[in-house]
Amino acid sequence: MIFSSIIFLFYFLPIVMAIYYIVPKKMKNIVLLISSLIFYAYGEPKYVFLMIFSITATYIFGLLINKYRNTKYAKMILFSSIFINLGLLIYFKYFDFIIQNINLWLSSNIDLLNVLLPIGISFYTFQTISYLIDVYKNEVDVQKNFFNLALYISLFPQLIAGPIVRYKDIQEQLENRNYTIEKFAIGIRRFVIGLGKKVLIANLLGELINIFAISTDKSVIFYWLYAISGMLQIYFDFSGYSDMAIGLGSMLGFKFPENFNYPYIAKSITDFWRRWHISLSSWFRDYIYIPLGGNRVSSIKNIRNILIVWLLTGLWHGAAWNFIIWGLYFGILLIIEKKFLLKYIEKLPNIIRILYTNFIVMISFIIFNGNGINQILENVKGLFGIGNIPFTSTESIYYLKSYFVVILIGILGSTPIFKEKLNKEKIRKFINVLEPLVLMAIFIISTSYIIDGSFNPFLYFRF
Amino acid sequence: MKDKTKNIITTFGFIIVIITILILNIIKPDETISKTERRKLAQFPKITEKEILDGNLSDKLEKFAMDQFVGRDTFRKIKYYFNTNILQQKDTNKLFIKDNSIYKIEYPLNENAIKKSVQKIENIIKQYLNNNNIYYSIIPDKNYYLDDEHLKIDYSKLTSILKNSLNDYHYIDLFPELSLEDYYRTDLHWKQENIEKIAKKISSEMGIQNNSNLMYKKIELGNFYGTYYGQTSANINADKINYLTNDIFENCTTYNYETKQHGKIYDLEKYKKSIDKYDVFLSGATPLISIENPNSTSDKELLLFRDSFGSSVAPLLVENYKKITLIDIRYINSKILSNYIDFENQDVLFLYSTVVLNQDVFK
Repeated sequence: MIFSSIIFLFYFLPIVMAIYYIVPKKMKNIVLLISSLIFYAYGEPKYVFLMIFSITATYIFGLLINKYRNTKYAKMILFSSIFINLGLLIYFKYFDFIIQNINLWLSSNIDLLNVLLPIGISFYTFQTISYLIDVYKNEVDVQKNFFNLALYISLFPQLIAGPIVRYKDIQEQLENRNYTIEKFAIGIRRFVIGLGKKVLIANLLGELINIFAISTDKSVIFYWLYAISGMLQIYFDFSGYSDMAIGLGSMLGFKFPENFNYPYIAKSITDFWRRWHISLSSWFRDYIYIPLGGNRVSSIKNIRNILIVWLLTGLWHGAAWNFIIWGLYFGILLIIEKKFLLKYIEKLPNIIRILYTNFIVMISFIIFNGNGINQILENVKGLFGIGNIPFTSTESIYYLKSYFVVILIGILGSTPIFKEKLNKEKIRKFINVLEPLVLMAIFIISTSYIIDGSFNPFLYFRF
Repeated sequence: MKDKTKNIITTFGFIIVIITILILNIIKPDETISKTERRKLAQFPKITEKEILDGNLSDKLEKFAMDQFVGRDTFRKIKYYFNTNILQQKDTNKLFIKDNSIYKIEYPLNENAIKKSVQKIENIIKQYLNNNNIYYSIIPDKNYYLDDEHLKIDYSKLTSILKNSLNDYHYIDLFPELSLEDYYRTDLHWKQENIEKIAKKISSEMGIQNNSNLMYKKIELGNFYGTYYGQTSANINADKINYLTNDIFENCTTYNYETKQHGKIYDLEKYKKSIDKYDVFLSGATPLISIENPNSTSDKELLLFRDSFGSSVAPLLVENYKKITLIDIRYINSKILSNYIDFENQDVLFLYSTVVLNQDVFK
C-alpha cells in the first residue's frame, strides 16, 4: 500500500486510527502490528511471510546473542544472523544482476531467476542488522517480546521507504508512548505537507521527465529542464515520503528520526550527505565505515573505506551499474573534497558553494536515473549543447512555460525560506489561523490529483 | 489564535474529513458509468485467492476507490482549477482551453502508427480494390489552426508519409478548406452545418456531379457537451448541435450490418439515449453501415473508409450516389470485409482524421 492512494488515505488510515485510539493501551501494539502486516500484504501478500521469517530469525538470533554474550559463540551467532538477513537481500535484489554480469563477462548462459524484489526489503534488512549489531555491542537491550520486535521492523509508516529507524531510537517508545493533541496535529501537518510534496510537485515533475524521455525535439533548454526537474522530483518524492512517515509516526505517538535537512542548500558534497537520506548515510557510517576503521587509519586505508562505503551505498539503491557508478562518483568526490578541495571551497562565497554542490548533485541524479551509459552521456552532453543540439525548441519552450511555477515552487520549497518566514513571532497568530485551512486545502487538492490520476508509484518503492 | 486552538482545529478537522469521506464512500451507491468522462467506472472487484496472491486485487481496489470516490467530478474540477490557475500548467491531461474552446494535444507525431495505418490502407487496396477509383484525404485536428506556440504534430510529415505510400491515388487536400470555427468548441469533431464546403470539395475532386443548388434545412437539436468537455471538467459553455436535412436525406434509409437494423440518416432515438450526442449522425460508432438513396440519379456507389468524422460528412455526399457504405476498420478486421461487401467498381474514399492516423488503431 502506498500513502498517496485512496485506499490508504480514506479507508486504511481512518479505520486504523479509529481502532488504535479506541482500544486500551495494552492492545495498541497488537492493533499496529496487525495493521502493519495488512499494509504490507495488501500489495505483495506472498512476501509478508518472508518478512515474518526475517523478523523471527532476528528475534531468535537476538536472544541467542544475548544468551551467549561474552562467549566465543556470540560473534559466530551475530555473523550467522547477518548472513541470513543479508543473504535474503542479496538473493532477492542482486542475484539476477550477478548472473547477468557472469553471463556477460564469461559468455555463459545461466538462466536468470526473475524474482520480484520484495517491497521495503532494503529498508527492513538494514533495520534488522542494526538491531542485531546493537544487541551484540550491548548498546540496546535485547527485545524479549516477539510482537514488539515484529512491530519495530514492520511498523507501517516507515516499512517500505524509511526512514531507517534504529531500534535504539524507538526502543522505549515501543512499550511506552504518550499521546497528545499537539503531537497528533504536528503529525497531520507533517503528513499533509509530505503528501503535497509527493502529489503536487514530484508526480507532476515525473510527468515532465516522462515527456522528456520520449521527446524527439530535445534542446539544451530541455536537457536543463530535465536535469533540474529530476533533481527536484527525487527530493520531493523521497523527502515527501519521509515527511509522511514521520507524520504518521507522530500521529501514532512515535518520534522517528529526521531523514532530510534541506540538502539543496548544502555548501559542499560532504555537507550534502549530512542532509540527504540521513538515516541511510548514518547507518553506513556506524555499521560499515567506523568498523572498517573510519578515518582513524592511514590515508590509503581511509580512501579504501570511503570507496567501500560508497560502492555499497550505490548498490543499496539498486542492482544496476548506474547505481554503482553513482555511488563511486560520490565516493571519489568526497575523497577529493576531504583530502584537499574542501579547504579551498570553504573560502568561496556561499552562493558559489551551493551552486557547485547542486551542479555535482544534478549530474549525479542524471547518472542515477539513466538507463545505460549512452543515455547518461547523452543527457550530460545535452546540458552543454555537445552534439549538434539546438539551444531551444518549440517543445522545450512549451514545457518550460508549463512547468515554470511547479519548478519555482520546487526550488523555493527546497530551501528553508518558507519555514523561516512563517516562524516569525510577529505573524504567528495570523499563521495559526491560516495553517489548518492551508493544510486542509493541500489535502483536498492532493486528493483531487490522486483521484484524477491512475498511476502513482513511489520512486523509492522498490528499494 | 493560540497554538493549542490551532492544534485542536487541525486534529479534529482532519479526523472529521477522513472519517466523513470514509462513511460517504461506503454508503454511496456505486455508479456504472461516468457521464462526464464517457466511460465505464470500475466496479468492486471479485475477490479470489488468485487475485489476492498475485497482488492484482490491490490495483483493482484502488481503481475502484478512485472511480467511485464520492464527489469525483467535483474533485476533478478542483484539480483542473488548481492545475490551470495556480500552477499555471498549459495543459491538464493534455487538454487545454483557448478562447472558450477546448483542445487536446495530439503531439508528438507517431510515425510508426501512421506507417502502420497506411500499411493497412495499402493492404485493403491490394486485397479488394483492383477496379476502383481511389481517393484519400486527411482531416486535420483543430490544433492545426492554432498559432505556432502550441504543440502540434508535424502535419507536413504526416501528409508526406501518406502521399509517398499512396502516390498512385488521388489526394484531396482539406487543410486549406477548414478553420477553427468549423469545429465544435467542446469536441474534436467538425460541425456538419459548416462542412458543406468539404462535401463540395470532395465531390468536385472525385469528378462527380454536384448539384450546388440543393438546399438544406438546418435543424437545431439543442446543447452539445462534447467529449473534451467532460475530460477537462472545466466550465465552458455548451455547443449547439445541428444537422442538415432535405427531402433526399429524409427518404434515404440506412442499414447497420452489426445490429441488422434499418434506420434513418439521423438517429434521433440514439440522440436522446446516448451520452455522446454526436451519435445522432448515422448512429455513432459502428463497423459497417450503408446509406441507400432511392432518389439518386446515378447508379454509382461509394465505399467510404472512415472514422467518426465520416458520419457527419457522408450524408452530404449521398445525393450523387445510390449507395454509400461506411466502413470503420477500427471495429472490424479488414481481412473479413469481403464477407459483407461485394467489391466491384465503386468509388472509394479513405477519409481519416489526423487524430486516428496518429494512433495504431486499424484492424
